[in-house]
Amino acid sequence: MKSSMKRASAQIPCGLKIAGRPEHFVDTAAEPETVASAPERIPLLKARLLKSKGDRVNIGTPLYEDKQNTDIVFAAPGAGEIQDIVYGPRRVIREIVIRLDKEQSTEDFTPYPADKLAGITPGALTEILLKGGVWPLIRDIVYRGVADPGQSPAAIWIAATNQDPFHPPPDTWLQSPRDKRFFQTGIKALEILCSSVFVCCAKDTSLGDEQIENRVTHRVSGGYPFDDPAVVHYHAKTRPEDNHAWFASGQDVRLLGEFLETGRFPVRRTVAVSGKSVNGRYLHTRLGAPLGLLADPGENPGCRWIAGGLFRGYSSGPDFHLGLYETAVGLITESAKREMLGFMRPGWNKPTCSRTFLSVFNPRPLPVDADMHGSRRACVNCGNCTRACPVDILPQFTYKCIRAGEIEEALSHGMLDCVECGLCSYVCPSKIELCQTFQETKQAYFRQRI
Amino acid sequence: MGWIEKNLRKIFDAPRKHFESGGRLEKLGPLFEAIEDVFFFPAEATKNRPLVRDSLDLKRFMSSVLVALIPPLLFGIYNTGYHSRLASEMATAFMPSFTTGLGIVLPIILVSYAVGLFWELLFAAIRKHPISEGFLVTGLLFPLTLPPTIPLWQVAAGITFGVVIGKEVFGGTGRNLFNPALTARAFVFFAYPAQMSGNAVWVAVKEKAAGAVDAVTGPTPLAVTELQAPFNNIQEMLTDQGYTFSTLFWGQYPGTIGGTSAFCSLLGAGLLILLGIASYRTILAAVAGLLATGFLLNLAASPDTLPWFSVSPFYHLVAGGFAFGAAYMATDPVTAPGTDRAKWIYGFLIGSLTVLIRVVNPAFPEGVMLAILFMNMFAPLLEYTEIRLRVKKRIPHV
Repeated sequence: MKSSMKRASAQIPCGLKIAGRPEHFVDTAAEPETVASAPERIPLLKARLLKSKGDRVNIGTPLYEDKQNTDIVFAAPGAGEIQDIVYGPRRVIREIVIRLDKEQSTEDFTPYPADKLAGITPGALTEILLKGGVWPLIRDIVYRGVADPGQSPAAIWIAATNQDPFHPPPDTWLQSPRDKRFFQTGIKALEILCSSVFVCCAKDTSLGDEQIENRVTHRVSGGYPFDDPAVVHYHAKTRPEDNHAWFASGQDVRLLGEFLETGRFPVRRTVAVSGKSVNGRYLHTRLGAPLGLLADPGENPGCRWIAGGLFRGYSSGPDFHLGLYETAVGLITESAKREMLGFMRPGWNKPTCSRTFLSVFNPRPLPVDADMHGSRRACVNCGNCTRACPVDILPQFTYKCIRAGEIEEALSHGMLDCVECGLCSYVCPSKIELCQTFQETKQAYFRQRI
Repeated sequence: MGWIEKNLRKIFDAPRKHFESGGRLEKLGPLFEAIEDVFFFPAEATKNRPLVRDSLDLKRFMSSVLVALIPPLLFGIYNTGYHSRLASEMATAFMPSFTTGLGIVLPIILVSYAVGLFWELLFAAIRKHPISEGFLVTGLLFPLTLPPTIPLWQVAAGITFGVVIGKEVFGGTGRNLFNPALTARAFVFFAYPAQMSGNAVWVAVKEKAAGAVDAVTGPTPLAVTELQAPFNNIQEMLTDQGYTFSTLFWGQYPGTIGGTSAFCSLLGAGLLILLGIASYRTILAAVAGLLATGFLLNLAASPDTLPWFSVSPFYHLVAGGFAFGAAYMATDPVTAPGTDRAKWIYGFLIGSLTVLIRVVNPAFPEGVMLAILFMNMFAPLLEYTEIRLRVKKRIPHV
C-alpha cells in the first residue's frame, strides 16, 4: 500500500460546474418529530427486526440485526415509540420510524476516552463497537456495505471530504474542540483495529486544525470521485493482499469517537442542503432526520428529492428520512420538458462532460435536473465511460461481459474495483445503466459467494 | 417560436393514439417516435443512480458527424455541378454549378436515405427497438463516396446491402463488424464495376450545350499510372494531367461526390476532434501510417518497380478518398477498436494498407475503402489484445 499519494486525476475531467452549491453557513435545524432508520439503504444488508411497531426504544436500543451476522446490530437513532415500519417491494424494510419523546433517554455503555483506549485489544474493541450499534459506521470498501467484523482489513480509510455534489466540508462538522477530540479518538480506535489507517482529503480543503491536518496521508486532486476512499484505495494498493479494506466517512469517525468518549450512541449529523428554490446551507441535525424538515422548497412541486449526493444519492421525498450514511439533501427539477429541436440547440446552459455543447465555454455553474437527456440506445463503443472511469475499468466491455454471462471475465476486468461512482452512466450518450448493472452484479456475486 | 411549438405539438398529439401499442399503425411506432423525437427532444425522468445524466445523447453525437459532413457535402455538390457544366461547355460560375450539382447529387442522397430508412424501420418494427440515429450518418456517408454518374437503382441496392448485410444481420447498430456505408460501397464497387470504376464515370453530364461531347473520360489521379508513367516521373505526369498537389488538396477535379477535397475532410476531421466525437488517435495514426509506408516504398523504388512506388507520400495524403476515409470512416466508433492504444495500431495499419493497395496492387487504384474494411475485421482482435494487456496490469481480486 502506498502510504501517501499526490496523483489521481480524470481523463475526462468531469469538473462539473453544478449550480446550487450551499453557502458556507452552518445552522441548526429544528428538532424533528420523528427519526427513522433505513435498512434498505445499507448495501447487502438483510435485516431482521428486533422490535415491532408500538415498542418503546431508547437512543442506542438495538432495532434490527444483520441476518447473515447477528453480531451486527443497528441502534435506534431516537428515543420514543416505534410509530411505523414502512415496507418496500418484496417486503424489504424501508424505514423504521420512531416518534420522538420530549425527553431523550439513552442506553448507557462504558465510556472509553482516548487514554483508556490504549490497552484494548482489537477483538475487545470490535465487541464494544458491535454492542453499541456503531459498528455499521465502518464499511467495506468493495461492496460499500457494513464491514465484516470477522475479517482483518489491509487498511482502513477515512474520507475527510466527499465531493459528490454537495456534501458538508470538514470544517462544518469539525467546529468545536469537542468535535476535534471525538474525531481524533475515532482515528485512534480505528488504529487499534488496523495498523494502516489512512486519511484522505481533497486538495485545498481545510480541516481547520493543524493537528488534524497532520493526520492526512493522502491529498487528492481531480474533484469527484477522486477523493472517494475506494478510488484512493485503488490507486494506493500494490498487491492482491491489499484488496480487502474498510472505510468510514469523516463524520462517522467523529461519531465513533463520540461513542467511545461518552458511552452513548451518537446521533449528531451535519447535512448539506442544496438545490432549486431552497435555502442552500449546512445544517446540524440528527441521524435519520426527515428530509422535509431540512429542506423546504415552498410552492414548488415537481422537485426530485435526492438523499445523498447527486451521483451516489437515491430518490427520496419530504416524508422520508435520511439513511445512515447520507449527509446531504438535494432538490433538483424532476425532468426537463420536451424541448423543441432540443438536440440541435447550442446548449449554452447544458451541463456536460463532452465538448458538444457551447456550455464548454460557459464559466458559470449550470443547473442540473433529474432527466435522462436522451433515450436508451445500443452501445456504440464511443469510450466515454472508459475515459470517465476513475479506477481504469473499461465499462463498455465489462458491461458486455456481464450481459453475456461472462462473470469471470467481468471480474478480471476489475468489476470488484468498481466504486459505483456513477460517472460511466452519467457520460453514456446511449443512456445505458452501466453503474446500476455493475452494482447489481457485484452484489449478486457477493451473495453467491457466501 | 411559441406559436410554432404549440402547433407542432398538436400535429404530433393528434395521431399519437394510432401509433401506440394496440393502435392501427402500431408497427410504425418506431417511425413516429423517431420523427417526434427529432422535433421534441424526449424528456424522461431518471430512475437509477446517478440521478443526473449528461446532456449528450446519441442524437447529438450522430448529428455532430452530420455537421462535420457539411463541408465535403457542399463542396461535392458544387464540384459535381462544376465538372458537369465544364463537360457540357456551359458557364461554370458558382451558383449555376451548385444548382446543377444539386440536381445530380440530391436524388442520390434522397434515394440512399429513403431506401435505408425503409430497412431500418423494418428491422426496428420487427425487433421492437427505436430507430438508431447512426443511420443518419450512414445514409449520407454512402452517397458521398459514389461517382456522380451512379444509377439510382444501384444506390438503392448498395444501401440495402450496407444496412441489411453490413449491419442488421449482425444484430443492428452497435454490433456490426463492418462500417455499413463502406460495406454498401464495397458491394456496389464489386457488383457493378462498370459504374464504379474506370475513366468514364466521374463526370455526370446532365444538360448538354450544343456540340458538347457525349461522355467525358479522364483518368482519376490514382488511375494515371495506367498511362505507363516512366520511373521517377509520376509527379510530372500527374501535373500534366492537371493533378497538381494543390488541385488534389482543394479537390476541384472529377471524382467521388464528397471524397475529392482533402481540405474539406480536414475541416470535418478538425471539427470532429474538437467536439471529441472522433478519435484524434485514429486519424493521426492513419496519416502517420500512410506517410511512413509511402516513404518506405520510395526507398524501394527502382525502374523495375511499379510507377507509384516513387510518388511522394504527401501525394498519397491528398489523392483519392484517403482524407475522407480517415476522417469519417475510420473513426466510426462502432467498427473501430474502443481502446486507445488499439486505435493507434488500427489507424496506422489503415494508412499503411491504403498505400500498399494503391501502389503494389494495380487492380485497385483506390485503397482506402478496402484498407478500412480490412482493419474493421481486425478491430476486435486489437481491442481484445489491449484488454488482455490491461487486465494483466490490474491487481486481481480473489
